[in-house]
Amino acid sequence: MPLFFYLDRQSFVHRRHPLVKVLALLLFFVAAFVMEQPLFILPLSVGIGALILLSGSTPTLYRLRILFVFVGVFTTLIWSFFYGRGTRLTTLPFLPVTREGLLFGLGMATKLSTFLATGALFLSTTRIEEFAYAFTLLGLPYRISFTLTLAFRLVPLFVEAAFTVIQAQRCRGLDIHSGPLWQRLRHYVLVLIPVFMGALRRADQMAIALEVRGFNSGRSRTSYQRAPWQMGDVLALLTVLGVTVIYVSLWRAGYGRISVTN
Amino acid sequence: MDSTDAIRLDQVSFTYTDAITPALRGVSLQIRPGEMIVIIGASGVGKSTLVKCLNRVIPAFQTGQLTGEVRLFGRRLVHEKVGELAGTVGMVFQDFEAQLFATTVRDEIIFGMEQLAVEQVEMQRRLDEVLSQVGLSGYESRDPTTLSGGQKQRLAIAALLALQPQVLVLDEPTTDLDPQGRQEIFALLGQMRVAGHTLVLVEHELAAAVAADQVVLLSAGEIVASGSPGQILPQIETLERYGVRPRDVDRLFKTLGVDGCPRDVEEAMQVLGALAPLRQTGGERTSPREGRQQLFMLRPATNSGQALSRHEPVVNPPPLLHLQSITHVYPGDSPAVCDVTLSIAEGEFIALLGQNGSGKTTLAKHLSGLLAPTQGQVFLRGQELRQVPLHKLAQEVSYVFQNPDHQLFADTVEEEVAFGPHNLGLRTAEVEVRVHEALAAVGLSTMREHDPFLLGRGERQRLAVAALLALRPRVLILDEPTTGLDYLEQRRMMELLRRLHREGRTIIIITHVPWVAAEYAERALLMAQGRLLWDGPLRGLCSQSDLCARASFRPPDITLLGLRFGLTPLSVEEFVGWVNSKSPVGAHSTPYENRS
Repeated sequence: MPLFFYLDRQSFVHRRHPLVKVLALLLFFVAAFVMEQPLFILPLSVGIGALILLSGSTPTLYRLRILFVFVGVFTTLIWSFFYGRGTRLTTLPFLPVTREGLLFGLGMATKLSTFLATGALFLSTTRIEEFAYAFTLLGLPYRISFTLTLAFRLVPLFVEAAFTVIQAQRCRGLDIHSGPLWQRLRHYVLVLIPVFMGALRRADQMAIALEVRGFNSGRSRTSYQRAPWQMGDVLALLTVLGVTVIYVSLWRAGYGRISVTN
Repeated sequence: MDSTDAIRLDQVSFTYTDAITPALRGVSLQIRPGEMIVIIGASGVGKSTLVKCLNRVIPAFQTGQLTGEVRLFGRRLVHEKVGELAGTVGMVFQDFEAQLFATTVRDEIIFGMEQLAVEQVEMQRRLDEVLSQVGLSGYESRDPTTLSGGQKQRLAIAALLALQPQVLVLDEPTTDLDPQGRQEIFALLGQMRVAGHTLVLVEHELAAAVAADQVVLLSAGEIVASGSPGQILPQIETLERYGVRPRDVDRLFKTLGVDGCPRDVEEAMQVLGALAPLRQTGGERTSPREGRQQLFMLRPATNSGQALSRHEPVVNPPPLLHLQSITHVYPGDSPAVCDVTLSIAEGEFIALLGQNGSGKTTLAKHLSGLLAPTQGQVFLRGQELRQVPLHKLAQEVSYVFQNPDHQLFADTVEEEVAFGPHNLGLRTAEVEVRVHEALAAVGLSTMREHDPFLLGRGERQRLAVAALLALRPRVLILDEPTTGLDYLEQRRMMELLRRLHREGRTIIIITHVPWVAAEYAERALLMAQGRLLWDGPLRGLCSQSDLCARASFRPPDITLLGLRFGLTPLSVEEFVGWVNSKSPVGAHSTPYENRS
């Protein structure tokens, strides 16, 4: 079972410089964040959708489909109910839905789904090392970004070990999935002990292996330039920057907000 | 002092903090640049301790009392950090998972170069160079977790080669690999030797030692023998006494009274064919040609097994275990097991063979109900396995995982073994009987109060077996029961299984070790690409070289040598027996053949 979203492709999005991807992600969030009207957010959603298609990241979207439905439906419903102000659409006392509430709910749902899709696009097209590299360029200490990378690398190994341990305990007559809740929790502890002990043994060895390759040698280090800056990077960054500037200006000029008339 | 030595150890002793006895006692060694030295010995004799002194992992990571002098190219090591020696000494470990940290092959190799501040252009150049050196060009973007064991270990080596170390230390680099992976590493070592690297290799067996300049045998922290391979390898008794399995060819030469230390089967064949007349018991001698002709005439009719198994229908009474056309597909993958039909009778001893990824573990997990087939059915005594309740299944079929640490969790040995019987809901008195019995069977009775995590690898492996024996299963399936064990521990484990088998249990082992299969199993199953290629006696399989090649299965050396004489001996004793007598008694007499 793949735990991560990265999809090894060679698309325009994949090839962008890691720094461009991180900055574009942040800018895009700002642009979507300032808008309330669903119709103003929609162009951004369409844009992200196009990039997802272009980069071949649709499998990630498919994997997250339940989350999208959940976020979409619940955000719309909850905001419609609890917005409170504005023109009532029904006269039923237990259904206090207003026109503005519904609009705000729809806007919120579009916004959150777009955030989610943008995140999915980012994770599908960016390796963890590129991610860490971009953060190092932005000034994050190398040790922290490396630890982050290592964590991502190790999680699947621990999950795999846990599955093996569950099978091993099953051979000894332990069915982890049966019994009352407290018993099941106890069973999980029996699985976690070997996994943690294994992780500790491994961490010990890994520390040695890291130093053997010069980690912690006290010398200054270089960074392998993962992707040289290309024209596409400049264009991409300018485009996203432009879109964000337009959206923020529109917001400042009073567009895209939902105004309550009464 | 001669400063041309790459490595020089003078009276090096080391005692781990909290240990009473020293791990190393007065070890002195000299290794010249470009030499390859192989350090051999049983588990726990100080092999790893010794090499860890070479780049200050000892005493930096594992503390203790270090005395004596370690010199690298004339420079005495005193206060250096491990990382500072990164460009001088590279070190590869047994556990390849624990030395790979990146999500791509490229990043794995770049990591060390970044730490040593190598410039971009040079980094790219070395990246390409080391990848082609270890045969991984084109794998730059691959996720290391998707590589085979041999590829992972080659990647770990490449990552160190990129730092251009003058000395490369490899601590049991092939222990966790299958035969294919081991061949890859040995081939790479050969290349590195030609390229002039100074190599220090730790092994608990002799496969790589024959190509070395120096072989050093360690026991209890001391060097008990050292010299050229030609001096050390033929010392059969010495090697066995210190827990190292001598090579088949050396044992054969010794028994036949032939001098020499052949590099491989080919060379052994030349020596045998050209030089020594094969001796016979009565003192009369035959010429090699004559001997060979006689041997040809004695060719045993071996092929009672079946290639490409097509099995008889379920017979009456139902077999203990029966797989009916099972296929297993992991999500998003090609089938791991493809249309396998197989019956296992009570009291068999089976070796399940095949490369890593051939589907043998997946197949074995179906026999124990750990996996359910995507298609097909599994029967236990005629009942479909899915319908057997877990507590009953646990008393019928047990599965011992390759890594004992995946199942050990208790504070004491006793508690560990009692866990299974407790799960079955047995009464305390009965549990006690089971614990006693199981620990006695594996020879751990005196260690009841010990902490499982502090036991040696061999002991942990036997404890894992005891934990399952306490359930009194009829079938015991063991995944690589001898991996990571030295020769004495391997013998001990296999003798334990033989005893359990004689008591009436059915034993199924997954193994890569040809001699283990040859000496202990009665029936061999060979898997390749998810299909069962052979079901029958190992002897029959070994005589079909095309089938072996297709599944990358390498018979024991002694068998390969015997095949040149038209025989398929499974042990040195058998070979010698056949050479010494005209009628090869025993050639047809494995129990399985008698039955079938």
